[in-house]
Amino acid sequence: MENGQTPRFSVSDFLAVVNQSLEVAFGIVEIEGEVSSFKVNHQKYVFFDLKDDSGSVACFMSVWQLRTQIEDGMRVVVRAAPKVTPWGKFSLTVQEIKPVGEGSIKRAQELLRQKLDKEGLFSVERKRLLPRIPGHIGVVSSVEAAGYKDFIKLLGERWGGLTVDVANVQVQGDSSPAQIVRAIEYFNSAKQPPEVIVIIRGGGAADDLAAFNDEAVVRAIATSRIPTLVGVGHETDETLSDLAADVRASTPSHAAQIIAPDRREVLSALDTKVDRVIGEVSARRASLENDVVASVELALSRIDSKLGLLKNRYFSAEAVMRQLDPRAVLRRGYAIVRTDNKPMSIVVEGDLIAIETDKYNIEAEVKDVQPKINR
Amino acid sequence: MSNQKLTDKLDEIDKLVAWFGGNDMDIDEALAKFDQLTALADEAKKDLGELENKISVLKQKFSE
Repeated sequence: MENGQTPRFSVSDFLAVVNQSLEVAFGIVEIEGEVSSFKVNHQKYVFFDLKDDSGSVACFMSVWQLRTQIEDGMRVVVRAAPKVTPWGKFSLTVQEIKPVGEGSIKRAQELLRQKLDKEGLFSVERKRLLPRIPGHIGVVSSVEAAGYKDFIKLLGERWGGLTVDVANVQVQGDSSPAQIVRAIEYFNSAKQPPEVIVIIRGGGAADDLAAFNDEAVVRAIATSRIPTLVGVGHETDETLSDLAADVRASTPSHAAQIIAPDRREVLSALDTKVDRVIGEVSARRASLENDVVASVELALSRIDSKLGLLKNRYFSAEAVMRQLDPRAVLRRGYAIVRTDNKPMSIVVEGDLIAIETDKYNIEAEVKDVQPKINR
Repeated sequence: MSNQKLTDKLDEIDKLVAWFGGNDMDIDEALAKFDQLTALADEAKKDLGELENKISVLKQKFSE
């Protein structure tokens, strides 16, 4: 080209030079503005305008790059490369878009929440119970974070013998969502997977917790085959990850309380259980003793009764026997007469007889025998 | 000693305690089970006092 001459290009060459110049002059830029005319074509291509009070620029991106929900009126920052299309239209090819300002961030989160809720990711029916005292726990957190340290400390105070594998990730910043997703996938594909995945970080501003409202993170938690426990922020913070988790903890410390019982309470409960059993055994023993005593008393009473009957019979028999006793007859004034060698019925005069009275034994001789006349 | 064995002991204790809740316990069997229960409870108490958690930070990197 000669000096002073106006350069002449073909259309295509000119557009190529313009794009090269833009690339050299700007490369990648970040531009903040308000979204308008937002639309998605063929579920693949995203078009919108980014505007402010006195200007507007067209933006284009792929759906898969859209990591947040966008709607008209939202204030956003785009990370983009300025380009002129083959049709001579100036636009920004967007690589990344993020809502800015509390209002836009909240609105984006709400839109995403509605979308995922509609898909059923937060439904109660999907929630699983955590194992009672999981022996093997996977933790996704930053080991530098205060929330992590609180969790580990409290877990150690409450219980022992647990195996805890920690996936050290960033819990805030642009690279945080991808790291969290990779950590969850790592645990899910481990040869010896943990029984529960605990995802924790301490409190922070809304921006700091943004990773836990990232769609990919929320989906990774919702689709984890291993039950998940999320404890992010303070009590009042609720992220979409909290909604997707099987169990939500209000803070990392609360997560430790959910995962493991307090060994002091368990020790106390053990003592109570043993004491209660002692009480039950003692009561049973007392009951048996009472039964034995009652049985013995009953038997004794029956024996007494029997003895009483026997006594009565004995005394009755004794009375009869006394009556029959020959000595009683003698006492009434009768005498027993005996002979030596013959029955009394054939004694004759001159026989010797022995006479026994109550007080005397008399020897006598028969003087006369006369038969008795019966009246 | 692992958490698994400790939780097994605690489960066994709960089963024994539940047995004593039954109405007609044979006193000889009760005394034998009571000895079992107190032995397990003593072991569990010892475990609870001594066991510590094993914390491992994975070497795996999760950044790109």
